[in-house]
Amino acid sequence: MSNDPDPVRRLRVLAAGLHAGMYREERIPLPYERVWAVAADLSAELPHLVPFLHAFQVPAGDADRKQARAVARSGLREDFEVRLAPGWCLMQSRLIVGGMAAVPEDGGTRFAVLGATRPTALRPVQWLYGHLLGGRRGRAFVGRVTERARLR
Amino acid sequence: MDIQGDSAEPWETAAALVRAAQGGDALAMDELLTLVTPYVTWLCRPIAPHDVPDAVQDSLLAVFKGLRTLRDPLAFYGWVRTVTVREAVRVARRTAVEEPADPADLARLGELRPGTDGELPSDVRDVLARLPVQHRAVLVLRELEGLDEAAVAELLGVPTGTVKSRLHRARSSFRKAWSR
Repeated sequence: MSNDPDPVRRLRVLAAGLHAGMYREERIPLPYERVWAVAADLSAELPHLVPFLHAFQVPAGDADRKQARAVARSGLREDFEVRLAPGWCLMQSRLIVGGMAAVPEDGGTRFAVLGATRPTALRPVQWLYGHLLGGRRGRAFVGRVTERARLR
Repeated sequence: MDIQGDSAEPWETAAALVRAAQGGDALAMDELLTLVTPYVTWLCRPIAPHDVPDAVQDSLLAVFKGLRTLRDPLAFYGWVRTVTVREAVRVARRTAVEEPADPADLARLGELRPGTDGELPSDVRDVLARLPVQHRAVLVLRELEGLDEAAVAELLGVPTGTVKSRLHRARSSFRKAWSR
């Protein structure tokens, strides 16, 4: 048995390190493959999962490191660096960090989501994102992932 | 962020990542996590042999939660050792029944090694399994990490005399088992 932390445990460590405003971990009663198919399909699914997001443009291909552009419903654009691996997704812009992780668990899936703001001089923007990402957003996010995975 | 140069010493590579991670760079933090996990695992295995995944996870959580408080990024590994030993001892103490450590790990305990083949007799393993967790921690720091008694005492927050007596008792337990 490997002693290395699985992706969900790993995301939990990053959430602690980033003092993340949003971190949620839940068991989804659907197979891992179906759940992760939703999470990993960033350009098609992320706008369904994040309410203020209009589009998330990611270059096609299997590269584990990508540049992406998020377009908010407000028109605000933000460039992200993306790290994608099986059960693991980490996205970072100048202002915010987002992450998702999943592992199979007893026929279902343990799923985790993280949202954090980065230290920045742009306090009002940070406050806005903090508000958008905080609190109950985590539970709602996992709920939407579950809905989207059921549709597959 | 990609700082993993071939020529850089491990602590220099870590220090650059620590600085970036302290500034809230999640990608640097992720790389730092990859870099430090094997070391944390290596420390946890002999101290908490029955709970390695939990000891590793709790140590990593404590390390990254406290990362912002680390003043000197070059001191990262020493600080990780302090935090990890504390967490591993705490996790090992939670377990009611203590299990023998992996012989391969025990064989690494420097001068306690019985022969060149690295295999420990089962009675020696039994002796080690019966050692209190704190004694195991002392053995790891002294024999695996090569710290002197004063450094071990400071790290575990006990007087040097306590370290000496634990070390003495741990070693004599082994000698008795071997000489039988």
